[in-house]
Amino acid sequence: MVTAVSDDMFTDEVLNDPYAYYGQLREEDPVHWNDLYQLWVVTRHDDLVWLTRHNELFSSAVFKNDPRPPYPTIYDSDLGLYEFVREYQARQFIQHDRPVHLDMRKVVHGYFTPRSMEEWRPMVKDVIKDLLDEAEERGSMDVMRDFATPLPLLIIAEMMGVPRQDRPYIREVAEKLLYVGRGEPWRMQNFSEGIREMIEYVTPLVEKRIVEPEDDFISVLAQGEREGVFSRDQVISNSSLLLLAGHETTINLLCNGILSFIRNPDQYELLRSDIEGMHVKANEECLRHDSSVKSITRIASEDVELRDKVIKKEDRIRWFISSANRDPRKFENPDQFDITRWPNPHVAFGAGIHHCLGATLVRVEGQEAFRAFAERFESLHLDTTEDQLEYQPSITFRSLKSLPITWN
Amino acid sequence: MAQERKLKITVDHDVCVGNAMCETFATNTFALNEERQSEAVNPQGDPLAQVLEAADNCPVSAITVEDAETGEKLFP
Repeated sequence: MVTAVSDDMFTDEVLNDPYAYYGQLREEDPVHWNDLYQLWVVTRHDDLVWLTRHNELFSSAVFKNDPRPPYPTIYDSDLGLYEFVREYQARQFIQHDRPVHLDMRKVVHGYFTPRSMEEWRPMVKDVIKDLLDEAEERGSMDVMRDFATPLPLLIIAEMMGVPRQDRPYIREVAEKLLYVGRGEPWRMQNFSEGIREMIEYVTPLVEKRIVEPEDDFISVLAQGEREGVFSRDQVISNSSLLLLAGHETTINLLCNGILSFIRNPDQYELLRSDIEGMHVKANEECLRHDSSVKSITRIASEDVELRDKVIKKEDRIRWFISSANRDPRKFENPDQFDITRWPNPHVAFGAGIHHCLGATLVRVEGQEAFRAFAERFESLHLDTTEDQLEYQPSITFRSLKSLPITWN
Repeated sequence: MAQERKLKITVDHDVCVGNAMCETFATNTFALNEERQSEAVNPQGDPLAQVLEAADNCPVSAITVEDAETGEKLFP
């Protein structure tokens, strides 16, 4: 079926409301060939689950295996920068397929088990308490600036063994790395600058851990180098990846979740009426309803039939979490924010062998954050108007620019 | 070396995401089914320590292990 939907996925309208656009595709043409950017757009929940669990058919080594220039078009003069970006991105463990991916994942996987992440819960709670104390003293809060950014940034910095005073710098560099998901033709300039700065920052930390391992995460990656699984360049690239992925996604979960509670005061009331019983479910619903990551890419390893379409070997694919988590075939009243939903089989963390490494850490942070808000604030309100809320123009991340709130 | 203690191993398919780490840690015990979710196909397939390591490494805590005869909970 041919749909009347425009193929430009970088308009303000689509970036601000992915649910209408990808929702329409999901209903009218769930495996859609986007002719403008020459890629498949996959939007149904069961197709996402199937695709992510068939890693032998869909390669994650997109930067390595895709010879085409990036979409949307970049400046010709930046194609050299793109080659540098490709080479760097291709070193990340998430950009590998089996069997190499399994060797790499085994190095890092054990650090992030649910049991080991529980040990971080007391620190997460302490940081949340301090941040909310400060906000109460000030009497105002931009959730993005004053809460959602500092919390995960501090935790991941502790985990990686990065000095506390360097956190503002890391965030500054991270913001350049977020250009990976944007559409501006000059984006490679910011992105490659972020990569260069991150490499420069991380390299001495890595060199130190190779010689003197500690119990932080960079030391875990350094151990991978000693075992011959990672090259030095890969350790550096993966350290940067974890620094970024370890906070950006949580920032969005916290902001989008608080906004959902503001828009649905009955659900906030429900959480407050039974915080102990509801905070885990509430966090899962925040993960589903307005997911931090909107879409992820793959490249076909062979010809694959999906619904009535044939995805050809080497075709590009982008699968949309935002539409899959609102699929009415899987979720009753999918657009409704309902914290009693259980089980909640959302795909906010993907699925299969590439299921988000940090999922358990994100869960600990989200659960404790929503719990702390509910314990402390009777009601939450926007300190701006709905039409002032703006999202970053990214096809990858669902990121508010700011979220000023008040409370009672 | 196979497991001598009789184990009852369950995988909760409401939460299993097919991360397949269990299959990596206890190769003879776990296998992915057609849906690419894990099944304990041979509860006696690997030594207990390996089965427990597999359960511990499940990123969504889908695996429980108990002694089939005594009912003693071994994981979590």
